[in-house]
Amino acid sequence: MEFDFAVIGDNWQFLAYGVWITILLSAVSGFTSLAAGLVIALLRLYGPGWLRVPCVLYIDSMRAIPVLVVLVWTFFALPIVAGVTMSPFTAALIGLTVHLAAYAAEIVRAGIESVRPGQTRAALALGMSRAQVVRRILLPQAIVRMLPAFGSLLSVTIKDTAIASVIAVPELMRQSETVAGQSFQPIEVFSFAILLYFLMLFPVTRGVDRLYRRVAHLGRS
Amino acid sequence: MQALPAMTLDWSVVWQHRDALIAGTATTFLLTIATMAIAVPCGILVAGLRLYAWRPVRALATGYVELFRNLPLILVVYWAFYVLPILTGLGLSPLATGLAALSLNVTAYNAETFRAGINSIRRGQVEAAMALGMTRAQALRRVIVPQALRRILPVLASTWVSLFKDTSLVSVIAVTELAYVSMQVRAQTFRVLEMLTAMAVLYWLLGYPQAKLVDWMQRRMKVTE
Repeated sequence: MEFDFAVIGDNWQFLAYGVWITILLSAVSGFTSLAAGLVIALLRLYGPGWLRVPCVLYIDSMRAIPVLVVLVWTFFALPIVAGVTMSPFTAALIGLTVHLAAYAAEIVRAGIESVRPGQTRAALALGMSRAQVVRRILLPQAIVRMLPAFGSLLSVTIKDTAIASVIAVPELMRQSETVAGQSFQPIEVFSFAILLYFLMLFPVTRGVDRLYRRVAHLGRS
Repeated sequence: MQALPAMTLDWSVVWQHRDALIAGTATTFLLTIATMAIAVPCGILVAGLRLYAWRPVRALATGYVELFRNLPLILVVYWAFYVLPILTGLGLSPLATGLAALSLNVTAYNAETFRAGINSIRRGQVEAAMALGMTRAQALRRVIVPQALRRILPVLASTWVSLFKDTSLVSVIAVTELAYVSMQVRAQTFRVLEMLTAMAVLYWLLGYPQAKLVDWMQRRMKVTE
């Protein structure tokens, strides 16, 4: 068995573009799903009563449906329903956000609920409004406690962007498939992709652990 | 928004292909059950190696767990598809390849679950048990494991739900599970919206109760020390 890793050098620009798209898609969908998750969690906890059931139904549904299905549906079926066309990248961004926001919402809710109710009562007794309590008492503590969970959500996001290869987003997985197919050297190419993904993901998991250890005391009460 | 004039939906296509969809669902369940049946004992083994083995073996087990927890499963699936036949010299079926990839992945997660579960029991408890005259093995079996199990089972259950969804990823190497079958019918009939929606609804119908069951388990088995 002989390996020829020259195929990596010959296609490095093509693969580097894949790494870039992976990072871009991860960063953007990580941000949008965090923002959407925060809004959904706050609506679920403090919004009007009739919104609670749809929020819970949405969150639990996303926990039940595979990302692959969400992405494929968004790319192929949503344009038929909505009568719009969209690029694979846009479809992936929408699909990933819809899917991951549910998980982000659960993290936010768990973080807020972990702050003892006595603190809310005390703050209300001091004359703060509900919005003030959330902004000044609950969120500052909850955000620190959510950090480890957000870290693993970010690494899940990076891993999930690889599934966007199925709808032809030119990220690292897709680019690797293309190079592997053209060069007939799948072993070299996919092994190299393993290395690249590990180099992207490992620092994220480790970095968040480190950061959390440094700021954990801020979340104590 | 403009209505699409040419859009006519024909949902009968779903019913017409019910046999294929049922077979695909069966394969999805089979893959989930078989993967767990492999990944639980292997996960215990790897966790044991990480906790109690000779130092170099420990490092190797840690390396394996860290590697697979930091890789997209779809890449592992592709890698297994191309590399396993060469490595083993066997012509593996897509189903066997998919099973191998899923098992490699879930074993790493399970190993971490078992390790964390055992480590979550305070050290003092083993020491107390040994001070009472138990051997290390007895302390593990009668003190650590019963408590650790209450923490491990809910995590295993949510791994199960993730795995159930992740089996959809082996569709990329043509394993005829639910996602692959649905997309194949879509390609044959051009009933894109109908088939993709049917696929999503089927996964929802199957996955929703499982997710709810996990929530219930987590509430019930909550441990406070």
